[in-house]
Amino acid sequence: MGQEILAPIAGKILQVFVSVGQTVSEDDQVVTMEAMKMENPILSPYEGVVKEIRVKVADEVKADQLLMIID
Amino acid sequence: MSVRKLIEILEHTEREIKMGGGTRAIEEQHRKGRLTARERIDILFDKGTFVEVNMYSQHQCYDFGMEKKRPYGDGVITGYGNVNGRTVFVYAMDFTVLGGSIGLNNASKIAHAQRMSVKAKVPMIGLVDTSGARIQEGSGTYSLLFYEHIRSSGVIPQISCIMGTCAGGGCYSPALTDFIFMIDKTSEMYITGPRVIKEVCKEECTGEELGGPKVHSQISGVTDFVSKTEQECLDQLKKLLSFLPSNCDEKPPIVETGDDPNRRCEELADVVPNSPKAPFDMKKIVRAIADHGDFLEVKARFARNMITGFIRIGGYPAGIVANQSMVMAGSIDSDASDKAARFYRFCDCFNIPILTFADVPGYLPGVKEEHKGIIRHGAKMLYGYVEADVPKILIVVRKAYGGSWAAMGSKTMGADFAFAWPTAEMAIMGAEGAVEILYRKEILAAEDKDAARKEKIDEYRNTFNSPYLYAGKMVVDFLIRPQDTRAHLYKAIRLLWNKPQEKISRKHGNIPL
Repeated sequence: MGQEILAPIAGKILQVFVSVGQTVSEDDQVVTMEAMKMENPILSPYEGVVKEIRVKVADEVKADQLLMIID
Repeated sequence: MSVRKLIEILEHTEREIKMGGGTRAIEEQHRKGRLTARERIDILFDKGTFVEVNMYSQHQCYDFGMEKKRPYGDGVITGYGNVNGRTVFVYAMDFTVLGGSIGLNNASKIAHAQRMSVKAKVPMIGLVDTSGARIQEGSGTYSLLFYEHIRSSGVIPQISCIMGTCAGGGCYSPALTDFIFMIDKTSEMYITGPRVIKEVCKEECTGEELGGPKVHSQISGVTDFVSKTEQECLDQLKKLLSFLPSNCDEKPPIVETGDDPNRRCEELADVVPNSPKAPFDMKKIVRAIADHGDFLEVKARFARNMITGFIRIGGYPAGIVANQSMVMAGSIDSDASDKAARFYRFCDCFNIPILTFADVPGYLPGVKEEHKGIIRHGAKMLYGYVEADVPKILIVVRKAYGGSWAAMGSKTMGADFAFAWPTAEMAIMGAEGAVEILYRKEILAAEDKDAARKEKIDEYRNTFNSPYLYAGKMVVDFLIRPQDTRAHLYKAIRLLWNKPQEKISRKHGNIPL
């Protein structure tokens, strides 16, 4: 079981900065979303390895939707 | 017995009391990576200034074998002394003595110290390190503390440092104070501990997962500051005190910082990005205008879409409330609103001017947020702003839309001055949304819908979102170059420093909690 990164706000995925297997540190930017007519950097609240990515560029996501899992 | 002998006995007893629970208990405390209550007091107070009160207190419990264990001090040290030359009162629970447990007598001792701090009109600091309520004595002890905290609220600053575990009803003692500090790895706070939660709710978790510093600084918002060590915690505490007056009847200290109040902040010309879609770090602005870039952020990792904290400008203290477009586009959700509302009210309690920096697209939309009660929570921020009668200055950095603009303050909400940068966009709503309502039919009928929409958006933006329009209506008092913000704010704070307070005749208002 890993730690989940959820969308803090509803919006559209503009960019995904990491790939599965990549190591991330706390506060590394993993995704950019468009929401409220703004680009929103999504930072990893955890340190670990990207286990699974559930979204791709141009996906529309809801608030609290699972973006990726960090192990 | 000779008088000399009596004095000698007193001195001997005093030395014994200062050994707390004895060498072994002190070693055990150190082994857990914690300092003793007396070591903490030594760090907190200026050398040689601490005066201990009720050193010889003893519990009055004669049940469960407690009659054989009646150490002086009773597990809590109280007293007063100077912190950077200013008097503060303290209570420090001594874990080496009866586990720092709270019984009737030592709760009375803390309550007495608290009443003394109110009489002396000086801040009260709590250094919390307790195994909990002293069960041999039954219940009804914490309420003594609750009562005093509530009676002193807004009269003197009250600050709690959680130096160890704080469990059960005892959590409400710090929760009723103005600020809470926690320490990495050693502090935990919860109403029901992991063992009971496992038994009752069948949920498994560690104390840290339940109520460690990360939880309370990021998820619950219970704590205001997290420090790496006890030393760092006490240093931060002293820094916080430096911004505060000793009581509600005094103004906060103005200090000589040696940073020119008229210093131009050239870097501020390039902080707001050219693209309206791009976020930027509002803290860059706060640090740029602050004396020596020094910003004491409050609740730094909770509701990060809203920034709160203290700075000085030309030595004058100010409370900052600012939107952070890097997080959720800077929109205001329930947590951000609670955070800002509480901060507004604290600044108002202790005469600290409020500076608000707006870059806010609106309250956060969504079913979840509505169901969570953004109406109720958002209202607190409005209430807190208007209620405050300290100097209030708004700086519109970029966006200020609709109701969320009011939450950041405006002339009609009682701001004394409103400044705007040339990058400001202010309106009842965004141009895109407004155009969909106003020109829906025209756009649908147009041959090139996108071009028509764009034209109308530009027209609306130029007509209604421009800061010049608002300066014309005197909704904005000053259109300023970003570089001159510090100098302007310094002059405005000085101008308003003795702003009279308006008392409304009533018991108290009814903030929508």
